[in-house]
Amino acid sequence: MSEQTTSVENPPKRGASLKAAEARTRLISYLFCLPAISLMIIILLVPIFIAGVLSFTDYSLGNTDFNWQGTKNYERIFGRSSYQKMLWASATYVLVVVPASIGLGLGAALLINSLRRFGDFYKAIYFLPVMAALLAMAIVWDFALHPTIGIVNKTLASGCGTLVEGFFSWGWIPGVNGAESWYSTSCADEFPHWLGEKKYAIWTICFIGIWQAVGFNMVLYLAGLTGVPRELYHAAAIDGVRSGWERFRLVTWPMLGPTTVFVVTITAIRSFQVFDTVEALTEGGPAKSTYVMMYAIFEKAIRENLVGFGSAITIVFLGFVLVITLSQRYLVERRVHY
Amino acid sequence: MLGNSSPMAEALKHAVLIVGALIVILPFYVMLSYSMKSPNEILTNTGGFIGSQEKMVDDYCIKLGNPKKDCYRTPVFFNYGSAFEKAPLVRYLLNGVFVTLSIFIIQVLVALPCAYALSKLRFWGRDVVFAMVLVCLLIPVHAIALPIYLMLAKLGLTNSYAALIIPWTISVFGIFLMRQFFMTIPDDLIDAARIDGMSEFSIVWKVMLPCAVPALMAFAIFSVVAHWNDYFWPRVVITGDRNYFTPPLGLREFTGGADGDFYGPIMATATIIVTPLIVAFLLAQRKFIEGITLSGMK
Repeated sequence: MSEQTTSVENPPKRGASLKAAEARTRLISYLFCLPAISLMIIILLVPIFIAGVLSFTDYSLGNTDFNWQGTKNYERIFGRSSYQKMLWASATYVLVVVPASIGLGLGAALLINSLRRFGDFYKAIYFLPVMAALLAMAIVWDFALHPTIGIVNKTLASGCGTLVEGFFSWGWIPGVNGAESWYSTSCADEFPHWLGEKKYAIWTICFIGIWQAVGFNMVLYLAGLTGVPRELYHAAAIDGVRSGWERFRLVTWPMLGPTTVFVVTITAIRSFQVFDTVEALTEGGPAKSTYVMMYAIFEKAIRENLVGFGSAITIVFLGFVLVITLSQRYLVERRVHY
Repeated sequence: MLGNSSPMAEALKHAVLIVGALIVILPFYVMLSYSMKSPNEILTNTGGFIGSQEKMVDDYCIKLGNPKKDCYRTPVFFNYGSAFEKAPLVRYLLNGVFVTLSIFIIQVLVALPCAYALSKLRFWGRDVVFAMVLVCLLIPVHAIALPIYLMLAKLGLTNSYAALIIPWTISVFGIFLMRQFFMTIPDDLIDAARIDGMSEFSIVWKVMLPCAVPALMAFAIFSVVAHWNDYFWPRVVITGDRNYFTPPLGLREFTGGADGDFYGPIMATATIIVTPLIVAFLLAQRKFIEGITLSGMK
C-alpha cells in the first residue's frame, strides 16, 4: 500500500501512518458491521424487551395508556383451564411429532442407505413435502380427510365387508372380537370426521406435521450416515457382531449421536412454531384441543388485540425455545456419543 | 449399512419404502387430480386421475345471463381459468416473487460485509459483535412476531411490502454461515487484492462475493423456499389489503368462502403455488437438499 513507500522515505512518520491505517481498518469494520448490528438490535433484541415489558401490562393497540398488571397475565396462562389446554396442545404436538418424525426419518434413511439402487428416487419423493407450501398442502389434506367425500374415508369405506376389514379388525388373532374393533365399528357406523372431532383433531394435525417433517429428518440422517467410517463395521464384524440390529445399536446409533441432537432440536423448535395447519384446518378447535401457542398468540394478541396477554405467551414461548436450544448447545459441547 | 442383503430382504425394503412413498405422495395426487376434474367427479370420486374431461356447465356463466350453450367448459380449463379469473392470482404470484427476491438480496447486502469484517478484519469489539450474532441465532423471528407487528403498526407500516420484507432483512444465520465460509478463504488472496490497490469495499463485492457463490447458492435456496412458502408472517401483517397478498394468503382467501363447486379451482391454485419450487427441486435435487439442510452445517 502507498503508506509503505512513504514510510521508507520518511521513517519517523511510520508509526503514525500505521496507526492511521489501523484506525481506517477499524472505521471500515464498524461501517461494515453497522447495518447488521442495528438490524439485530431493532428487529431481534428490542422486540424481546418490548414483549417482556408489555407482558406485565394490559396494553392494547390503539390505547394511549396501560395499567401494570404484575404477573397476572402469567398466572392466567398457567392457571386457567383454557390456557392449560393450550400448553397441552403444544406439548402433545411436539412430543408426538418429534419422536415420530425422527424415528421414521431415521428408518427411511437407513433403508435408503442400504439399498442397492433407486435410493435417490425414494429420497426425492420423501423430500417433496419439505418443498411444498405447508398451507397449500394442509388445504389438500383437508379435502383428502373430508368426512364424506374425502379420499381417505372413501378408501377406508371401500374396504368394509372385504378381506381388508377381516384383516384390520384383528378378528383373526385368537381372543380378539373383530366386531368391536375400531375398523368394524367404523364400518357399521361411519368413519371419523378427522378434523372435526375432539378425539381425533390433534392427532390429525400431528399426522400432517409428521408427514411434512420426515423427509427433512431423513436427509439430515443420510448426511450423518455418510460420516460413519466403514472400518467401524468391519471392526465390529471381526469382534463378532453379526446381526443387523446389533450393528445398529453398537456402531450406527452411537455414531449418529451428534446428528440426533441436532435433528431433535430443530424438529422441536419447528414443531413449537406450528401454525399453518391449525389456522387453516381447525382454528384451535374443537374444544381448544388444537389450540397451540403460535395460534394462541395470533388469536389473542392480533385478532382480539389483547397485546399484554399475547406478550406473556410470547415470553413463555421464547423460554421454551431457549431451553431446547441451550440444552442442545450443552450436549454438543459435551460431544455426545451415547 | 454394508449392502450385502439378500434379494428377499432387498424386496422387503422396497415394499416398506413404497408404502411410505404412497402416503407421502397421496396429497400431491389428490391436488393434481382434483385440479383437473369437474365438481361432479370430485363429489362422487369418479373419473380416475385426470377425470373424463367431459364438458360441464359453468353455473356462474349462466347466472350472468348467458345462454346455456355458451356456458360449456372443459373441467381442466375451467379450474385453472377460474384460479386466475376469480382472484388476482398473477398479482399474488408477482408479490411473492418480489418479496422473496427482495428479502434475499437485502439479506446478502447486510450479511456479506459483516461476515467479511468478522472473519478477515481485526478490530476492537469483534468478539462482542460475534457473540451478539451467536445470541441472536437463538431467536426464532416467528416467535417475536407480536412485538415486531406492534412496531410496524405504530409506524403505520402494516399492509405494505415493507411489513413483509423488513423483519427478514437480517439473517443472523446468513452472517454466521458466510463468516464460517470466509474463514476458509486464504488471507493471501485478500492481501493480494489490497496490494493491487483495491478498497475494502470492492474486496467485499469483487473478491469475496464471487468466492462465496457456492455458499450463497445454498443460502438462496434456503431463504427463497422459506419465504415463498411462509404463511404466518403475511397473515399477521397483511390485514385485508389484497394488493399485498402473497400466494399462500391468496389461496387461503379462496378457501374461506368456498363451496363444493370450487374444489377444482382451489386445487388448481394450490398446484400453481406449489409447482415452481417442486419443479426446481426435481431439476436440481442435490443443490436443494444442500440448501434446505444448511442449518445442519452449524
